[in-house]
Amino acid sequence: MQKLVPITRLGKFFGGEDYALDIGMGEEWLLGDMNFTVILYRIDRYKTKKDDVYGEVLEDGIQFMAPVELKGLVQVMAPQNKLLGNSKIKQDEPGNMKFSVYQKTLDDMDVNIFMGDYLGYYETEDRVRYYTIIDDGLVKSDNKHTYGGYKPFYRTVTATYVSENEFRGI
Amino acid sequence: MPLPRTQVKPTLPLVPQKTLYARREQLLEYINKDGTYLPKSVLHADLDRGMLDFVKGDLKVVTAGKIVPMVDIIVTTQNWSQYVETAQFIDLDNNPSPPFITVVRSPEVKFGTNPSLQYTIPNRKQFYYASVPTWNGNEQGMDIYTIPQPVPVDINYSVKIICNRMRELNELNKITMQKFSSRQAYTFIKGQYVPIVLNNVSDESQMQIENRKYYIQNYDFTMLGYLIDETEFEVKPAIARVLQVFEINTSVLKKKKNQYPENPDTFLTNFLYVVGNDILIERIDFTADMSFVKSTNISSYDVYINNDYFGTNVQRIQITTNDVLKIEVVKDDNTKSGLIEFDSKLV
Repeated sequence: MQKLVPITRLGKFFGGEDYALDIGMGEEWLLGDMNFTVILYRIDRYKTKKDDVYGEVLEDGIQFMAPVELKGLVQVMAPQNKLLGNSKIKQDEPGNMKFSVYQKTLDDMDVNIFMGDYLGYYETEDRVRYYTIIDDGLVKSDNKHTYGGYKPFYRTVTATYVSENEFRGI
Repeated sequence: MPLPRTQVKPTLPLVPQKTLYARREQLLEYINKDGTYLPKSVLHADLDRGMLDFVKGDLKVVTAGKIVPMVDIIVTTQNWSQYVETAQFIDLDNNPSPPFITVVRSPEVKFGTNPSLQYTIPNRKQFYYASVPTWNGNEQGMDIYTIPQPVPVDINYSVKIICNRMRELNELNKITMQKFSSRQAYTFIKGQYVPIVLNNVSDESQMQIENRKYYIQNYDFTMLGYLIDETEFEVKPAIARVLQVFEINTSVLKKKKNQYPENPDTFLTNFLYVVGNDILIERIDFTADMSFVKSTNISSYDVYINNDYFGTNVQRIQITTNDVLKIEVVKDDNTKSGLIEFDSKLV
């Protein structure tokens, strides 16, 4: 049985009920008003048959569990116009995505996000861009991710653009 | 038990490859293709095209049953051409989607290091290349084709593979190493074999954690090419043989004119004295030595040349053209004719 220790810091003017109230109001704004949605594709690490040496799969070879809709704060960085290495091939490299989600949302849905999972984000009705998670934000002990130092309340996931050759959803 | 790969032919050659003389003829056919007796110009664009063809054909990479596409141009300053060439493998952002191969040419082209061509012939001297028969309907002749020594050039290329799987890197590396196991390979450009040397292999992969990861591997090649410019070729006419045709009218047959004397060296000249005639005068139309042969019914004879007395019963008369020869005879029997024969020999 998991051992639970009550959090008593800030106890004179802030407690669990206040924390739950504020998170609830935040969810009202984020999930109700903002309503940014991404689709999380969690890799099925057992069913995906990978290369023994490089751990690579062929195109369309990635097996994933049932996609999950997550609501959170989506920030997409500006693209970079650059050359591929020293080649003369120019491209607009799409910017990374930062996706912030309440830990409560993940807990309610019993979902976790790991590095290497994929996110799909519908930019328009018919255009979805896929990202792979390069920072799953599991470490959320910093002040920014704790509610006034009370306890961690959200995760910031950083994902980078992935080409269709690697992943293209369903 | 599996068979060793080296002993199993993956494909059966249905057309036997030509060797020796037949192969040389085949090369000549390549050179003479399109009807020229001279080699075709090989300039920078041809060398670049040859490099692209070499990469596309000899360094073709196939992974998971698909050919890794190649940007089939040298990307330069005009960006639109990149999009045209990569249109077949772009993603939703119109960016070329890995894996793909591209060829980058160093813009500068240096004087070549091909040892067979370096500074050997000065001043663009023209050299005999071929003698080409000509025929214009009347004259048969030869044209001499001369060309200067080709100019060696070194062109540096970087063949880059952009991909996101190690197996694609491995495949290109395997093909390249096999192809360049003897350090150089050849591409075939307009009938010329041009060597390509592998210099270096380097890596430019993007592996920063905050960016998209992909591999870029770079193969540096130097093409030991040479420039052949057809504007420097010279064609000069050589010997010509004229064929003249005469048309002869055979409808009228002319009688062949008898030549006199028939025998130009020696012939007999007779002087016949009929009854009652003792003198014969004749203008001689040749120069000869006349030697007395015989006489019939002649006792003696006197010879006059141009009315000058020459002698009596002379055995040899030297006569020249247009001389008037007079021979006066005395017959043995005046009731019969007499005859004197001389053997004339032209001088």
